[in-house]
Amino acid sequence: MTMPFRGPAAVPLVLHVNGEDFHVFVEPRRTLLSVLREELGLTGAKLGCGHGQCGACTVILDGETAYACLTLAIDCEDREIRTIEGLMRGDSLHPVQEALIAHDGYQCGFCTPGQVMSAVSLLEHNPRPTDDEIREGMAGNVCRCGAYPNIIASVAAAAELMAAEGD
Amino acid sequence: MRAFNYCRPTSYGEAFHWLAGADQLVVPVAGATDLIPRIRDGLLRPDVVLDIKDLPDMRALTPTDGRLTSGEGVPPGLYVGAAVRMNELARSELVSSRWGVLAMAAASMGNEQVRNRATIGGNICTASPAADTAPALYVLEAAVCIKGPDGDRTVAIADFFAGPRKNALHRGELVVGLTIPQPPEGSIGHFEKLSRRKAGDLSIVSVAALAVRTDAGYRWRLALGAVGPTPLRSPESEAILSESLTDEAIDRAAASAYGCCCPISDIRSGLEYRQAMVINLTRHAIHAVMAQMPTP
Repeated sequence: MTMPFRGPAAVPLVLHVNGEDFHVFVEPRRTLLSVLREELGLTGAKLGCGHGQCGACTVILDGETAYACLTLAIDCEDREIRTIEGLMRGDSLHPVQEALIAHDGYQCGFCTPGQVMSAVSLLEHNPRPTDDEIREGMAGNVCRCGAYPNIIASVAAAAELMAAEGD
Repeated sequence: MRAFNYCRPTSYGEAFHWLAGADQLVVPVAGATDLIPRIRDGLLRPDVVLDIKDLPDMRALTPTDGRLTSGEGVPPGLYVGAAVRMNELARSELVSSRWGVLAMAAASMGNEQVRNRATIGGNICTASPAADTAPALYVLEAAVCIKGPDGDRTVAIADFFAGPRKNALHRGELVVGLTIPQPPEGSIGHFEKLSRRKAGDLSIVSVAALAVRTDAGYRWRLALGAVGPTPLRSPESEAILSESLTDEAIDRAAASAYGCCCPISDIRSGLEYRQAMVINLTRHAIHAVMAQMPTP
């Protein structure tokens, strides 16, 4: 008994995004990024290079960062997807977002949602990273404004904020 | 991006049924980090994308004395399923315990986001001469486990890479994993990579060195990436280093490494720079291994 393949026309999918189930009808060729932005209206993740080099599309998939532009939506069924839209707790920004504002960790802001998701994931896995570990963890996110020193400082500050919250 | 069908079989019977489709281009995929840009750029036009991640044991990472390849004549070692991801290798205590050179190579690939998706099976099946895990797999003398509709076979890693983006798979076959022999206790490995950017870039040159512990001392293995149509070993350098580790011997070993590669010029580097860097990186890798040798 062989399972039929799906597509190439649109197929029904259920995506779990930021704790909610979304029923969509999309073609297998659609990337997670295009479905988030065009079907779900979650436009925080951005299309930068479309080749997995810039990081503007970074989301968290089952607890690990991924490039949404290199991930097929159909490959994300039964997986937990987190985007920047799901970070706020009530009316409060996430500590990473607070720290980026406080330390001028951006200029034009286009890469920022991706930077935030990488920083959130980094701090979830390693709550007290060294500067080198921050650089390594953030290396998949390019900032064409060159705000890197302030991004590194923001992530370090966010680690402090989160540690203080945990106390 | 051009439309395609998608299927995600859970049994090999199903997978081989789709792979046998005569008039269709069926492309196996796991992490898709290489596939999606190629489809988007029109370099590949698959009719079916066959996701192999849910096939049995594709994500296994276990000692070979475990159930996967136990049996007569299988030496102790490591089994790595084809869908094991780079960050799993880079962060595995098991891999670092004896196969550290592979963990280092996996950690050097792409960046965090790519390593969370990209798999070792994809890295070798793409068969890029610059595949980051390749030099490590060459010095570890890994074997590629292949399944086909007519049965299983294994191919030495050095025979699996057939040319730029060409591998030894026959039509309808799948790479299911790798077996990697366990180097004797006290063996020392090191991986070194040069690229334009430290993250998210392909190598200009990569080198893996492994000093295999023997009763008399060390037997060296040295492999180079991105400097020929396939990754390659430098047998002359290996013989020189196994004989002597004087400065003069290291110079000769690095010169032999230079002699055995045939790089091209491309967007990442000119040919002359690549050749010069083969010497430097080889020397670095040798010294890095020596630095970890116990002082007599």
